Amino acid sequence: MSTQQIAEKVLHWVTQQNAEADLVMQTSQSLTLKALDGRLDEHSVNSSFIVGLRVVSDGQVGMASSEAVDDESLKFMVGQALINARFQAPQQHERIPQISGQERAEEPSLLPEDDTDIDAKINFIVGIEQELLAREGIRNVPYNALSDVTYTQALFNSYGRHTEQQARRIMAYAYPLAENNGQTAMAPGVMAGRHFLELNAEQIVTTAYDDSRALLAGGPIQSGQYDVIFAPNTQAELLGAFSLMWSGKAAMDQVNPMRDKLGQAVFDRRLNFVDQPRNISGLGYEAFDAEGFCTAPVTLVEHGVLKTLAHNSATAAYFDVANTAHAQRSAKAALSVGLHQLHLLAGDASPDQLHEGCVFEVTQLDGLHSGTKPISGDFSCGASGYLWRNGERVQSVRGVTVAGNLYQMFNQVVTVGNQMLWNDSRSSCMAPIRFADLSVTGQ
Amino acid sequence: MLSPEVARSVIDYALSLGADFAELFVERQLRSTLTTLSEKVDSVQSGVEFGIGLRMVFAGKVLYGYTNKPHADELKRIANELAVKDRRDPKVVATAFDFRQVEALHSGLKPLSADAMIDAKIEFLLAASRAAQRAGAQITQTKGTQLQREQHIALFNSEGLHVEDTRHYVRAVMVAIASDGSAQAHGQKDMGGLQGWELADAVDAAALGAEAGRQALVNLSARPCPGGEMPVVMGNGFGGVIFHEACGHLLETTSVAKKASVFHDQMGAQIAHTKVSAVDDGTLKNAWGSINIDDEGMATQRTQLIKNGQLTSFLVDRLGSEKTGYARTGSGRRESYKYAPASRMRNTFIEAGDDRFEDMIASIDRGIYASHLGGGSVKPGTGEFNFAVQEGYYVENGKILYPVKGATLISTGPKVLKEISMVSDNLELACGMCGSVSGAIPTTVGQPAIKVDRILVGGNA
Repeated sequence: MSTQQIAEKVLHWVTQQNAEADLVMQTSQSLTLKALDGRLDEHSVNSSFIVGLRVVSDGQVGMASSEAVDDESLKFMVGQALINARFQAPQQHERIPQISGQERAEEPSLLPEDDTDIDAKINFIVGIEQELLAREGIRNVPYNALSDVTYTQALFNSYGRHTEQQARRIMAYAYPLAENNGQTAMAPGVMAGRHFLELNAEQIVTTAYDDSRALLAGGPIQSGQYDVIFAPNTQAELLGAFSLMWSGKAAMDQVNPMRDKLGQAVFDRRLNFVDQPRNISGLGYEAFDAEGFCTAPVTLVEHGVLKTLAHNSATAAYFDVANTAHAQRSAKAALSVGLHQLHLLAGDASPDQLHEGCVFEVTQLDGLHSGTKPISGDFSCGASGYLWRNGERVQSVRGVTVAGNLYQMFNQVVTVGNQMLWNDSRSSCMAPIRFADLSVTGQ
Repeated sequence: MLSPEVARSVIDYALSLGADFAELFVERQLRSTLTTLSEKVDSVQSGVEFGIGLRMVFAGKVLYGYTNKPHADELKRIANELAVKDRRDPKVVATAFDFRQVEALHSGLKPLSADAMIDAKIEFLLAASRAAQRAGAQITQTKGTQLQREQHIALFNSEGLHVEDTRHYVRAVMVAIASDGSAQAHGQKDMGGLQGWELADAVDAAALGAEAGRQALVNLSARPCPGGEMPVVMGNGFGGVIFHEACGHLLETTSVAKKASVFHDQMGAQIAHTKVSAVDDGTLKNAWGSINIDDEGMATQRTQLIKNGQLTSFLVDRLGSEKTGYARTGSGRRESYKYAPASRMRNTFIEAGDDRFEDMIASIDRGIYASHLGGGSVKPGTGEFNFAVQEGYYVENGKILYPVKGATLISTGPKVLKEISMVSDNLELACGMCGSVSGAIPTTVGQPAIKVDRILVGGNA
């Protein structure tokens, strides 16, 4: 049974119950390969499907999902969603959007033709492990993998809306364990793309090896206030942990500290945040949101002023503002809000200017899930990286913590880099920022 | 869920491809989640998950695939695709299935399949919410979450195992948010167990909410935490996350077999202070991390990990046993059919000692009392771990002075285990979710209050 047939059947049953609905359908096929001691250690091939139903009946919203698509399971899902709706408080603003039309994301580079065979992929990941093992001071490479995922996200609603995007993500990583005199250190090499040929084994090996070896010689620095630059991965991770600040849903729930700051200067005036869902260079490209609206660039912060929060149709209606097409919903989750591909626009500082004087470059942050408090903005995490003095890396740093308040930190900007950089998973593209006076605890 | 005949044909087929071992993990799970925002129901969801995971082992190499389709043809197609590079003459002949009835150690008196009891769950969360609001006028919002799952599993393997089990999980979380107009802070309290909704009969919803509200107000008044190396007293219950991160993960053969754990060659060695004894016990009645059987079909057990500071056991799954030579401990666990099993923790805790909490605090000149800890993480290869203090206090000259915020504790497992110098007698357990190579699984952490003589406290004072 095709997704179209499933949708027609389910939506028909919902209509018979005088309700309206939309369906999210997620399909994926994936391959994962892992190497150990010079040979393939794990080989995983998977396919999965799940359908998530949201019904609105008499102003009440209910949800249910199913991984089975036989009629009995689908009818059970519809029944469950309708029962669940009876218990929810009436929602004045959450409705199935009255939009129609069928659209597919047609960008060919989302799913490029790639006839790379399994042998090449096995050789790739085994080769990375072997190359690292052959290098001086590497005990083993306990964590490594190549994963190749093709996925389809489709949405259907009672008003005839049908959107669909199919895409592929391929990623490889390796974490070598460097050892010397009983000391150990580990750092990743990661690459991601949409085509196997975008992965570069030599780059993964070099990054992982150099950083692991450098950290091996590292230690804590003197406790104090430091200027800090977060490397692209850590800057993206840190902002991701505080993504609640962009959320119209969190604002509606009164847990977003930015709720009442629209039009106000919230950050340093050199900062410009834009969500760019359709930047095809990123792996977070999304042509549609989870309610079937077409996405477009949205300026969130311009010269430090908060221009809008991210909204779905319900939060936009609640605040009586424009919908920004940021609806987010997996098959198992309620309607929410999420960014697509956050961009922080470039400033004017060259890399040399960013690294003038004394600055701590943080390349790894540990414990973000527990060490960040999105409501208050406070964070305190384990950190490692490099200490720079006058443009030179002078010391590897580990065994320290970095702490501050994110909302204050964006007003403690020393300078903004003039180059925008993707993080390894290519989900966000940002200029590096040099922040002043973050607390570093070391020795 | 899957007939033994279909399972038989798939396993026979896997062995015909040359596998040394083949296993099917069949899962059907009912799930119900509801959330509240202050006095209103925010969302109600439910779902049915179903799938089958196929594992084959060829000379120590794991091949794993899964599907939602319970058909022999589909499962054989996956087996064929997985074995494309490993096919060889058959090495093993399958043993006939010997169905084994699992002894149900944990009650499920009010299972999800009988009644989702949504009204009762809503009332529970709203009662907790009202209690949180009563904690103080500065409580501006509450968020409640209630989750119930009913997981049916069946396992078949080429050694003749056929076993089925049902697991009932219930969890509730109340978050309270406090604001003074400029700053915001939150508090959280949760409960959970391996049982049906009858768990609510034994839990005071109002007490749950009141605790979340109290903690939010304490955190709102907290001052920035001073940083540096200092002694820390870690409270009982969820404080046990320190052992979970600092040591537990490093004892899983998933890391040990790859020599990716700093303890991989330390069996029998003194790895902790003599006051430290620790266990991982899957048999605790109705505890959140308990199981009847693990996800490889082995009966669960109580495993003494450390006795008086000496390493006495790893957590060993099937492959870990083959690779390390240690006996299996019933520790093979996975989130769902989408994951191959790996050695994982169950209910892991430091056993009670005989020190008094008051003496621990009195022994500190300058340090921290971390009464409630948040989550953490560890790098098994280096032993470096971190975790957040959810509620903490500054201690000076043996007195608890004022609440602090923004504290993170970091160290390495081998170092911190030797720095635990006092262990009290107030053992308590707390539930959490543990994420690792085989997904997110329910685990219990626990400990009595302990004193760590020196640990790096990351603060921002």
